Amino acid sequence: MAILECKELVKSYGKAAALDGVNLTVESGHIVGLLGPNGSGKTTLIKLANGLLTPTSGEILVDGKKPGKETHSVVSYLPERTCVPLWMSTRKLLDFYQDFYADFRRERAEEMLQHLNIRMDQTIKQMSKGTREKVQLIMVMSRAAKLYLLDEPIGGVDPATRDYILNTIINNYDPEAAVIISTHLIADVEQVLDEIIFINQGQIVLQSSVDQIREEKGMSVDALFREVFKC
Amino acid sequence: MLRKLLKHEFRATARVMGPLFLVILVLALGANLSIRFMLDADSFIPNLLGGLLMMAFVIGMTGLIIMSIVLMVNRFRTNLMGDEGYVMFTLPASSHQLVWSKIIVSTVWFIATGIVECAALLICAADLDLIQEIFSSDFFFRVSQVIQELVQEYGLNLPVMALELIVLCLVGCAVLCLEFYAAMAVGHSFANHKMALSVVFFFGFQFVMQLAGGLILNSNGLWESFYYLDGMESFHQMMGISIVISLVTGVIYYFITSTMLKKRLNLQ
Repeated sequence: MAILECKELVKSYGKAAALDGVNLTVESGHIVGLLGPNGSGKTTLIKLANGLLTPTSGEILVDGKKPGKETHSVVSYLPERTCVPLWMSTRKLLDFYQDFYADFRRERAEEMLQHLNIRMDQTIKQMSKGTREKVQLIMVMSRAAKLYLLDEPIGGVDPATRDYILNTIINNYDPEAAVIISTHLIADVEQVLDEIIFINQGQIVLQSSVDQIREEKGMSVDALFREVFKC
Repeated sequence: MLRKLLKHEFRATARVMGPLFLVILVLALGANLSIRFMLDADSFIPNLLGGLLMMAFVIGMTGLIIMSIVLMVNRFRTNLMGDEGYVMFTLPASSHQLVWSKIIVSTVWFIATGIVECAALLICAADLDLIQEIFSSDFFFRVSQVIQELVQEYGLNLPVMALELIVLCLVGCAVLCLEFYAAMAVGHSFANHKMALSVVFFFGFQFVMQLAGGLILNSNGLWESFYYLDGMESFHQMMGISIVISLVTGVIYYFITSTMLKKRLNLQ
């Protein structure tokens, strides 16, 4: 069943179209790379799926419903920057997620935090940028959601942290769920992807499985990306 | 879900308001000591210290009122319109619940601020001899007698008057929040200069509301009708009209806020 569906989706900011007639379907059980250069419309698409923006025209459906209160309980969203309240301690953040999300697996989150030696009384403000991103990712991946929307999860962090983030995603997502990872750092995520969606100037350029690209084009996703988006 | 939102909103705001209340009560105690022992002393140092304590108390009392309003504005701005909005607007809660949690918590803090301010004034003015005198004399009996005389003379309906004041106070606090929320919700729907536009919309809304209110009251000859009522009747009518006007204003601001958050949410 399609967990995410876009039909002729348009989002404009004034006269500029950030998304221009997007049609796509994402099935459950896949890790999908939403790949495109900066300003291609990746974040806009993810925000629309979260109900943080409203479409100018067309339709976007999550689990068959328009984004809203109901879909929020099945979508686990990682914004592109740290958005959890900085004054909260790790313990209060765990309480917050546990209170609002029935599918939050607190024990799993605590295990991951312990592994990183993050104290329960440490506030988010006291943490380094990398640690904040890890904590936010742990909260997001500790949910047993139907759809994970991860916006630039590896942008702006060191290579070791990138590895940690990707491992956390692979080891914690529900295999029945779909994971959409938006990024322009293709080489780093290619190893974990089942499917890719190329997006440019608000339009879908290509949607294909990673195996198909390797078999039919005889090249890696990174190489194909460089060819398609050559300046 | 509203209950959970309220719990976390109280948690987020209590860490600011709780210590502030404590500081004000301590300052009130300092001001009391200053009045009784320091200001009238014959030495310069106690005089200076007493003066400083009194000044700190007055600044603290004013600051507490300002802080309760600043906190109300800041919570909406950072928690819903800022980066934290990405977390809040993706919770399985409706935008109505998010707005109501902010209104209810801010209203509670406004009322708590009023109570703490009164308590601080009482602490500041407290004198053990005076308290003993009040309790040993027939002070309370005489006060109740005066109230009874007033009730008989002017036909006061104290429970209804208290109820009207409480309702007006609660609605007034909620409307005060919504005046700021509506302006911020509209201002933040633009791509740039969000805070500057919020300020412009705040004064714009104020102007339109004052103008509309003035026109409605004058055109219906409502003010003139008060001249022909006796004291208590005009009081109840005035309170009733104030409550209705506040409610209508609140509904308009609430409609603007919720519509902007639902249809024009523009987190960046």
